[in-house]
Amino acid sequence: MTDVSFVDGLVRFIFVAVLITAAFLLSTRSLPSLLRTYQLQSLLLAMLAVVFSFVEGSAVLLWIAILTVVSKVLVIPYFIGEIQERISIRRDLEFHYLAPASSILVSIALIIGVYLSLGNILSSAYAKVEPIFFIGAVIGISLMLMGMLVIFSRTKAITKVLGFLSMENGVLLFGICVTELPFIIEVMIMIDLIILILLTTILTVGIDSTIEAYNEKVRQYSLWTVREEDAP
Amino acid sequence: MIGVILYLLFAGLFALLLGTVLPLLIRREDKPVRTVSLIATALGSAFLAVAALPVLFSATTVSATLWHLLPGIDFTVVLDRLSSLFLLILGVVGLADAIYSFGYVEHGGHPMRRNLLVSLMNLFLLSMGMVVLAGNMVQFLVFWEMMAVSSLFLVLYDFESEGIGRAGLFYAVMTQLSTVFLFIGFILLYGETGTFALVPASPLASPGALAAFLCLFLGFSVKAGVIPFHKWLPYAHPASPSNISALMSGVMLKVAVYGLVRAVLDIFALDFTSGAVILLFGITSAILGIIYAYKETDIKGLLAYSSIENIGIIFSGIGLAVIFSDLGMPELSTLSLLAALFHSFNHALFKSLLFMTAGSVVAATHTRNMEEMGGLVHRMPFTAGLFCTGAIAIAAFPPLNGFVGELMLFESLFFGLQVVDPLTKVLLIFALSLFALTGALAAACFVKAFGITFLAHPRSDRAVHAEEACRSMLIGPAILAFLCIATGIGSFQIFSALGYDLPLPDMLVVGMLIVVTLGAVVLVVRATASRETRVTETWGCGLLSQNGRMEYTGTGYSEPVVTIFSSIYRTEKKIDRTWLDPDRAIVAGTRAGISLIKFFEEYLYLPVARGTLAVSSLVQIFHAGTLDTYILYIFVSIVILVLGVGWFI
Repeated sequence: MTDVSFVDGLVRFIFVAVLITAAFLLSTRSLPSLLRTYQLQSLLLAMLAVVFSFVEGSAVLLWIAILTVVSKVLVIPYFIGEIQERISIRRDLEFHYLAPASSILVSIALIIGVYLSLGNILSSAYAKVEPIFFIGAVIGISLMLMGMLVIFSRTKAITKVLGFLSMENGVLLFGICVTELPFIIEVMIMIDLIILILLTTILTVGIDSTIEAYNEKVRQYSLWTVREEDAP
Repeated sequence: MIGVILYLLFAGLFALLLGTVLPLLIRREDKPVRTVSLIATALGSAFLAVAALPVLFSATTVSATLWHLLPGIDFTVVLDRLSSLFLLILGVVGLADAIYSFGYVEHGGHPMRRNLLVSLMNLFLLSMGMVVLAGNMVQFLVFWEMMAVSSLFLVLYDFESEGIGRAGLFYAVMTQLSTVFLFIGFILLYGETGTFALVPASPLASPGALAAFLCLFLGFSVKAGVIPFHKWLPYAHPASPSNISALMSGVMLKVAVYGLVRAVLDIFALDFTSGAVILLFGITSAILGIIYAYKETDIKGLLAYSSIENIGIIFSGIGLAVIFSDLGMPELSTLSLLAALFHSFNHALFKSLLFMTAGSVVAATHTRNMEEMGGLVHRMPFTAGLFCTGAIAIAAFPPLNGFVGELMLFESLFFGLQVVDPLTKVLLIFALSLFALTGALAAACFVKAFGITFLAHPRSDRAVHAEEACRSMLIGPAILAFLCIATGIGSFQIFSALGYDLPLPDMLVVGMLIVVTLGAVVLVVRATASRETRVTETWGCGLLSQNGRMEYTGTGYSEPVVTIFSSIYRTEKKIDRTWLDPDRAIVAGTRAGISLIKFFEEYLYLPVARGTLAVSSLVQIFHAGTLDTYILYIFVSIVILVLGVGWFI
C-alpha cells in the first residue's frame, strides 16, 4: 500500500527533523521549550519506528514505538515539567566551553566525521543498498555525541538530564536502523531512564538548579565526601 | 606409570589446596588446626616430589588437560624433565619446611594470624607448583601473580614491626614490575606464534621474538633478584618469617630460573649476544651479591645477599649454555646448563637449610644482628651443626653438593677456553676470574656467618639465654643437610643415572679420601700431641675484666675486605670532633660514623621514582575536579575512538 518513494521521503524528513531538534537542545535557552523539543524528538523517533514497522512488518518495532510514546513523550516530560514548576527556573543562560554557535559548528563537524568513519566501518556495499539505514546510523551516533555535548556545555541540572535523554534517543535511533536491539533491553533502558528522572526529581525539587549547588546539597547530606580544597 | 604420576600430582596439589582452605574455614585458635594443615603441606610436597622423580629419571613427558577455559586456552598440566626438576625442588624444600614449621609457627603472633601464615604458605607452594606445571601462558601468568600476592602477604606477616611495611612496598612494586614485563613478553610471544601454548612448535629467532625474550628476561630477572633489579630481595627475605624466607629463597627464585631456562631452551633460539648479556648479568650479580653479603651483620640479610650471588652463578651457567650452543659446542652447552640446573637444586637445599637454622637462632635470641649472638654452639649444638653443614655446602667445599655444582661451571669455563676465538676467550677469562673471586669471598663470608654467630663467648644477654630449638625445627633442616651431603657424594652416580656422562670426579671416592685423610691427621695429632692442658685466659691488653664486647666482631672481620672494595661499597666515613678550647688543642668528644651509599638506590631506583612523580604531576593537571570537564574528556575520547576506528579499519 505504501509507496517506496513516499516512505523514503518521510524517513528523510524525520531524520532532518531529529537533527534540528538536537541543534535546538544545544542552543535553546528557555527550559520549557527545551522540554518540548525533547518531547518532539522522542515523538519523531516513535514515528520512525512505526514507519519501519509497517515497511518491515515487524511487531517489535511497533512495541518500541508504543513504549517510546508512553515513556518519553508522556511520563518523563511530565516529571521534568513538575520539577520545573517546583524550582521555578525558566531559563538556562550559562554555557561551559562552547557557546551555542560554536557547539552547532562542532556538531556539523561531528556529523561529517561520523559519516566518513561509519562509511569505512559498514562496508560501502551496505551503504549503497540501504542508504536510509546507513544515514540513520550516522544520525544516531551523531545524536548521541550531541547529547554529550549538551551535558558538558550547559550548566543547569535539568538541561544535563535532557542531554542524557537525548543521548539515549541516539542509541534508540541507531538500534532501530542498524542492529535492532532485543526488546527486553529497550524496556530495561526505559526503566533506567524513568528511575533516573525520579531520582533527579527527588534530589532537585525545591532545592537548587545547578550542578555546583547540587554538589553542595549532596555534601550537606554527606552522601558523598568532597575534599575541602575542591569546595568553591 | 603415567596414570600413577598424574594421580600423585593431583593428590599433591589437592593436599596443598586442602591445607590452604582448612585454616581459613575452621576458625579456631588452637594448635591442631595448624598441625593438620601442615601435615597436608608435608604430604602434598612429598607427593609432588615423588611424582617428579620418575619423570626426571626417565625423561618422559606427562601432560593432562583438565578443562577448556576458553577456545585456545586450556587448563593443562605439563610435567617434563625440566619442570620435574623444579617440582622436585619444590617438593623437597616444601616437605622440610613443613616439618620445620610445626615448631616455628608457634613462635609468636596471634593464633589466628598463625593460621593465616600456615594457610598462605600452602597457597604459596600450590601456586609455585602450578607455575612450574603450567602448559600455557595464561595459566603461567595467573599462578605467577598468585605466587606474588601470597608471598607479599607472607612478607607482611609481621607488619607492625619497623621496616616491614617498607619491605612489603618494595616487594609489591618490584614483583608487579616483573609481572608487567612477563605480560608484555607473553603478548609479544603470542603475536609471533599465534598460540597461547607456552612452548611453540619450533624455537623462535625473529626480531619480534628477541623483543619478547628481552621482556621475559627482565621479568624473570626482577623476580630472581638479579642485580640491578635485586633491591626488593634484601628487604623482603629478612622481613618475612624464616620458614617463608626459606621458601622464597629456596623455591620462588628457582621458579624464576625455571621460567628463564624454559625460555632459553624451548621458546627461543638465542644467539651469542643474548647469551653474553645473560652471562654479564649473572657475573655482576654473583660478585656484587657476595661483596654486599660480606658486609652484612644481619644474619638473614647476609643470606639474602648470598642468594643474589647464587642466582648470579645460576644465570651465568645459563648464559654460558647459550653462548656454547651458539658456537656449536653442544657438550659444553649441556655441561654448563646442567651446572646451572644442579646449582639451582643445590642452592634450594642449602639456602633453605641456612634460612631455617638462622630462623631457629633468631627465634632463640630474638635478634637478627650477628654481633649480639656468639657462643651458640654450646647452647644450640644441633642447630650449629646443621648451619655448619649448610655453610660448608654453600662455600663449595668438597665433597658436598655446592662443590660439585661450581666445579661443573668452572669446568665448562676451562674447557671452553681451549676452543673459542680470542675475543670470546677474553670474556670467559673475565668470567672465570670473577667466579674465582666470588668463590673465595663466599667461603670467607660463611666463615664469618658461622664463626660470629656460633663460636666464642656470647656477645649479649640474649645469646646467653638462648635455648636449643625444638625437635621439628631440627628434623626439617636435618633432611636438607642429609640431602646436601648425599647429592654431593652421589653426584657422579646421579648424573650417570640421568644419562649424562660428565667429566666429574667420583665424589664417593673423593669423599672417602677426604675422610681417610682427615682421620689420619686426627690420629697422628692425637698420637703425637702433648696431653698437657693449660687453662688460662686470653691476654686482654692488660684490662682486668674481659667480656663479650672484647671479642672479634663481624664488622672487624669484614673490615679488610671493606677497605679493599671501598670503591664498590662507596662507604662514607664521617668524623666530627668538638674541642674544649678555642685553639682546638683539647678534644672534648668525637663522633665517627660510617655510612653506606646505596648505589643502586641513589642512581637507579630514585631517578625512576622521581621521573614517575614528575609524569604523575603532569597528569594531575587533567584532574580538575569538575564534572563538566570529565564529561568533556569522555566526549573527546569517544570522538577520537569513533573517528579512529573508521580511519584504521
